[in-house]
Amino acid sequence: MEKIAITGMGIVSPSGIDKRKFWSNVSHGRCAIEKITRFDASKYTSQVAGHVHELEAYSNVSSRLLKKIDVFSHMALVGTELALQDAQMNLEHEDLNRAGIFMGNAIGGWLFAETELRDLYIEGREGVSPFAASAWFPAAPQGQISIKYQMKGYSKTVVADRASSLMAIGYGAKTLVHNKANFIVAGGMEAPVTPYALLCCQTSGMLTQHNATPQEAYKPFDQDGDGYAIAEGAGIMIMEPEARAKKRGVKIYGNVIGYASTTDGVNRIDSAEDGVELARAIRLALEDAKLNPDQIDYVCLDGAGQKKADLSETRAIKAVFGANAKNIPMSAPKSVFGNMLGASGAVDVLTTLLAMEYKTVPPTINLKNPLAGCDLNYCANGSVSKEINNAMVISRGRGGINAVMVISK
Amino acid sequence: MNIEDQLKKIFFDVLEIEADDIEPDKSLAVSLGIDSTEMVELNVVIKKSFNLDIPTSTFKKTQSFNDIVKFLKEIM
Repeated sequence: MEKIAITGMGIVSPSGIDKRKFWSNVSHGRCAIEKITRFDASKYTSQVAGHVHELEAYSNVSSRLLKKIDVFSHMALVGTELALQDAQMNLEHEDLNRAGIFMGNAIGGWLFAETELRDLYIEGREGVSPFAASAWFPAAPQGQISIKYQMKGYSKTVVADRASSLMAIGYGAKTLVHNKANFIVAGGMEAPVTPYALLCCQTSGMLTQHNATPQEAYKPFDQDGDGYAIAEGAGIMIMEPEARAKKRGVKIYGNVIGYASTTDGVNRIDSAEDGVELARAIRLALEDAKLNPDQIDYVCLDGAGQKKADLSETRAIKAVFGANAKNIPMSAPKSVFGNMLGASGAVDVLTTLLAMEYKTVPPTINLKNPLAGCDLNYCANGSVSKEINNAMVISRGRGGINAVMVISK
Repeated sequence: MNIEDQLKKIFFDVLEIEADDIEPDKSLAVSLGIDSTEMVELNVVIKKSFNLDIPTSTFKKTQSFNDIVKFLKEIM
């Protein structure tokens, strides 16, 4: 596919909001997962999460608007502002009818929704804020970004569990390839650290129960891995055709050059154990990028931290990369800050771009005793110096969703 | 506190609108950008604050700050 440049990034994460702080924490493997104290989580089986701190310090959202939106929209707005500034976008000189917004989200804005549902049962119908109607649903951040910046082009919000934002970026890139927009704000946001959202995530059976040791709870590809720790945050980027970015003379972090997705069709929660459909998505993405497997220098893994998922992901990689699989550095940097669900793919893309910039593969933390069959180079002992020209990002969702993106320098 | 002052306090509590920014005879939608959901939220809080047992839709005809004041004076 035609090269689609990423020229701006906005990261809102438990490891920091500023991209330099984020990279410093992630590349050094400083875990940001903490015990949940925002509400009483003592009765939950999973009591740890990655929390965003200092959001207000980076926010220019009015207090009047803050009363009407959920925190997931707030994080998306902060991330968008950072990304637009980073990309040196002057919106006054842009045709905003050709400015698109492609966002990914898995569960919606539950802090706002559950507060209002509580009021419904306590106070009755009129106890519910009318803002609830426009605050909770997954496309709410897309709407808020559109209103704030008056971007009125072709836009979508993708809901595909943890693969949501990688899919959104993929669709955004294809939209630019088809010349349906001049530039696109793409990414994802998630705010699952609320009583009801945590309960729903917990019910899926995919969350870690290593509550006594929050910083060591999320252990991708490890024998003791029992699931991921949820996290809140947003990953937003500015995408535009490479030729346009060069004409603007702005920094290009990297280019999206290939994307594909497949579905397992096996189980409503778990990924297929054989990894066959994930392997097919990897092949299709490589084909789209016109690259051979041996041209990939780094793979940013989904790394759900659950035995079946970690094994099937490893199987898929071995099926495509063959004997060379063990020579390619790969990692699950989200083990540092937690799994941002619908925002995770976007943050992985941004992490991968930073890895390219700093010529460093970030580590997978808490991997001490690899799971039998998981014998790839997961960079468990810390970050690794590496010139990265082409990288791959894998994102998977419940119900067997597989999304794969190829990025080049 | 008179009705006007109570209303100004509600405008601030609900929408963070300062009393100085209210132009009493101007349309709330035009002068303060108050949209339909904000209007419903304002009306619900006004009803609670003034202890009114009337349907929220009763407020539909009130376009300005002074319209609301006048309406409240009529029914109280």
